[in-house]
Amino acid sequence: MSLSRISIAVLFLALNVCFLGAQTKYTVSGTVTDKKTGETVIGAVLRIPEVKGAGTVSNEYGFYSLTIAEGDYTLSVTMSGYSTETRTLALHANMKMDFALQDTSYLINEVVITGEKADQNVSDPQMGAQKIDMKEANKIPVLFGEKDILKTIQLLPGIKSGGDGGSGFYVRGGSADQNLILLDEAPVYNASHLLGFFSTFNSDAIKDVTVYKGNGPAQYGGRLASVLDVKMNDGNNQQYHVGGGLGLISSKLNVEGPIVKDKGSFLVTGRRTYADVFLKLSPDSAINSNTLFFYDLNAKLNYQLNAKNRIYASGYFGRDKIGIANAFGIEWGNATGTVRWNHIWNDRLFTNTSFIFSNYDYKISITSPSADFAITSKIRDYNLKHEFQFFPNPQHSIRFGVNSIHHTVTPGQITASAGTAINPIKLQDRFGWENAAFFADEWTAADRLKISYGVRFGAFAVLGKGDYFTFDADGEVTDTSSFATNEIAKTFFTVEPRLSAAFLLDSSSSVKVAYARNSQHLHLLSNSTASSPTDLWIMNSLMIQPEIADQISAGYFKNFRDNTIELSVEVYYKIMQNQIDYKNGANTQGNELVEGDLVFGEGRAYGLEFFIKKKYGKFTGWVSYTLSRSERRIDGINDGSWYPVRQDRTHDISIVAMYDLGKKWSLAATWVYNTGNAVTFPSGKYYIDGQVQFLYTERNGYRMPAYHRMDIGATWQTRKTEKFESSWNFSIYNVYARENAYAIIFRESETDPNKTEAVRIALFKIIPSVTYNFRF
Amino acid sequence: MKNILSILAIAVVFASCQEVIDIELNDKDAAIVIEANISDQSGPYTVLISKSVNFSDPNVFPGVSGAFVVISDDAGNADTLVETSAGVYIASTIQGVPGRTYTIRVVADGKTYTAQSTMPNAITLDSLVVEESGGFGGAYIIPQWQDPIGTGNTYRCIEYVNSERVGAFLYDDSFSDGLVNGQPLLNFTTELETGDTVLVQFQCIDAANYLYFFSMEQTATNNTAAPANPESNFDNGALGYFNAHTVSVRTVVIP
Repeated sequence: MSLSRISIAVLFLALNVCFLGAQTKYTVSGTVTDKKTGETVIGAVLRIPEVKGAGTVSNEYGFYSLTIAEGDYTLSVTMSGYSTETRTLALHANMKMDFALQDTSYLINEVVITGEKADQNVSDPQMGAQKIDMKEANKIPVLFGEKDILKTIQLLPGIKSGGDGGSGFYVRGGSADQNLILLDEAPVYNASHLLGFFSTFNSDAIKDVTVYKGNGPAQYGGRLASVLDVKMNDGNNQQYHVGGGLGLISSKLNVEGPIVKDKGSFLVTGRRTYADVFLKLSPDSAINSNTLFFYDLNAKLNYQLNAKNRIYASGYFGRDKIGIANAFGIEWGNATGTVRWNHIWNDRLFTNTSFIFSNYDYKISITSPSADFAITSKIRDYNLKHEFQFFPNPQHSIRFGVNSIHHTVTPGQITASAGTAINPIKLQDRFGWENAAFFADEWTAADRLKISYGVRFGAFAVLGKGDYFTFDADGEVTDTSSFATNEIAKTFFTVEPRLSAAFLLDSSSSVKVAYARNSQHLHLLSNSTASSPTDLWIMNSLMIQPEIADQISAGYFKNFRDNTIELSVEVYYKIMQNQIDYKNGANTQGNELVEGDLVFGEGRAYGLEFFIKKKYGKFTGWVSYTLSRSERRIDGINDGSWYPVRQDRTHDISIVAMYDLGKKWSLAATWVYNTGNAVTFPSGKYYIDGQVQFLYTERNGYRMPAYHRMDIGATWQTRKTEKFESSWNFSIYNVYARENAYAIIFRESETDPNKTEAVRIALFKIIPSVTYNFRF
Repeated sequence: MKNILSILAIAVVFASCQEVIDIELNDKDAAIVIEANISDQSGPYTVLISKSVNFSDPNVFPGVSGAFVVISDDAGNADTLVETSAGVYIASTIQGVPGRTYTIRVVADGKTYTAQSTMPNAITLDSLVVEESGGFGGAYIIPQWQDPIGTGNTYRCIEYVNSERVGAFLYDDSFSDGLVNGQPLLNFTTELETGDTVLVQFQCIDAANYLYFFSMEQTATNNTAAPANPESNFDNGALGYFNAHTVSVRTVVIP
């Protein structure tokens, strides 16, 4: 493919530059792991203090490589939450040096973090990126005590909650489907359980979470607004452990241990809710015959074949089931699988090859004597990714690779038992082939200047077999084209440059600028206020063009007090093309011609994000504030003028505070405030068809009341030894019992039928919860 | 289906709290509302013309007097309607015949509004089957009729219990082409009890009116992210519909 040829040419160009002025250089490389668990450590900073600028960061598999001139040095490894390790390095040949870091929370003495603290947020050229510390996330109080990374990221600037108690999120004015959610590289198409109140991520199985707000490096692509990269734990390769938690809503259990000590390990975690168990206790048959639950299963295996080869296999399976009296049921779920092979070609060239499977489906079933049928829909991906990481010298860290994904969307299939009043129907499957080649380099251009640049070339082919339609402005079919199996109906090419640069003003502050283009070939059609499992995914077609976003951003980053306090201020402006919405009255279920009901337009979003965080000490926490605007303009909506999108919230504030009261107790509190969503309210009413109807004038012309809420939590560490740990977690959601509006509905007055009234619906008042966690 | 699903699930999972609140809503210039029906039953057919009011006003909707209203068909008939009370206009000569396309023209306050509707072929409502539900609460009604082969048929059932209108339900044949209907009247607000008399008025309606009632339903469930006025077949910004439909009626007493 010509695109990959271009990227290889770019690569060689970069390498030639790197090799200029080469002298006798040697490479030290190895893996950074956690001493106690054997888990690889991602993002550890390795430095050679004797050589200015000589440093690197361990990659997502714990691997690092550093090439410098021959000599005697020291090599230090720093990672937040671990004690810093420093060794002498006599570099007179290529050599291997592995590090096993000591987790500071297991130190017997009072936790005192000594040594160097990471200044990554200042010196890293990456902008709009944020890492979640899982230890921190576990302390933050949440609804029903069900700790949840998707709720933690909502407390960061530029990331907004999807709704009260919900796990959905919006990034920098983008819509929910513009977030790429990856679990061990596999896309998760619906990351929510129970209509969005819980996420699919069982935090016991999660090792690392990074979110990129529209400025992801070139190895990521496919969504406009963000990438949420979630990596699962590998499993302890030193000892067997069993851990778990008993909560009000669900219980969890995980088992991990070595397959062969130091060589390989496994991890299995499961979680299930038990609301349905309480339903069963009801004597009322109308209640006890209902079902309502979800479960998750995560599993991972890894094995080091030899010093140069390591394989990983990981999988996720989760499902929700809601059933009412065997008459009506809906179930949905994701299944993902990833097989990866790490290969170290030499000290400086690391490759990873991944084969990834992802499936999302839902099924609605209706059973009655005269109608017994089920509607199913699914989206399935087969995905191959081959990536090289090359570390030519300390100035450059290069990635390049290719990615090829085959998508199948089954929009709707109806199965009915014989003799019922429903015809079995299958809408045409839709096929797409998404290819990308990428190149990215993190380049220390000068002492004070770091640049991360790259490009992603994409080609999306709309594939047969099937009929593709073209429509006129009224949504009537004007032409039908038939394509054979794997015949290309249309190909869309995209070129996505990515650039991000940091200029160090002094040792503790920097300014950064970034530009990125992203494109998106899969689109979620959603018309309801709650996230619904039945929202429809569609792909590019003869009518639907890829969505494209261009984002520019700039920021100031400053660390205070020896890097214990981080401050950042970022501004961004984003332009979006080919945004999609429904026509009024569109029917999305079982509609072969749904594309005729779509309208297209443009979007713009801009804002300012302020973030200050205290990372170390007894008292930790952060304040984040976002001032933003997000608008769309679509022909036929709002008379073709700009209107705010639903998730447009002018002000958004999150305050998180955590306090360690010695070894046993730690306290946490959060407070959030945001401007209400932009919504459409009636501006009048009229009488028709025997009832009062409301009159609407403009899209999203009103605001919901402002939302604010405080949650508090406490963790009581009852025991903590090498052999056994246990803790209780207490939390109260919405402490001051504010009735935040989940929705406002309009209806005829119940007290005076001659009037109409507005009614606020609030979901959660005070919700206390308690969870017991253990590990042995 | 999606609306039902979300409402059910939310209702089952969380007992929410509701409170009537005051909201400042913009006042809006009154818009014209035209409700016009013509059926295959003998007349007189009625056209109602009124104005919208502000949300905070009482539910009193002023009729529009002095309008010129004419209904014509594609067989050369035309009928000018007579105003009997404020905003109520009655036809006299025009007759609804399946297969014919009807045009209405309304001139009110100096503006002209027109709409067209084609009366579908008549289909008879054969029976009303009463079924015990497995948990929805009480019995429910399955109206049965034979859908003709070929998709594109659209229907509306208006349900009355003891002479009081309790709901209207839309059907199309995209999943049930050529079959006898088996979809119940999914009425979640009215529980049927033994002895209740249920009357169903079954209408065959055209695609434009199906879209009108479908978009009205979407907004009325308070569940859509973007509520909007129903898609009217009137031009010039009038609210409402002109519906040429057939009618078939059945009654059943709940055993």
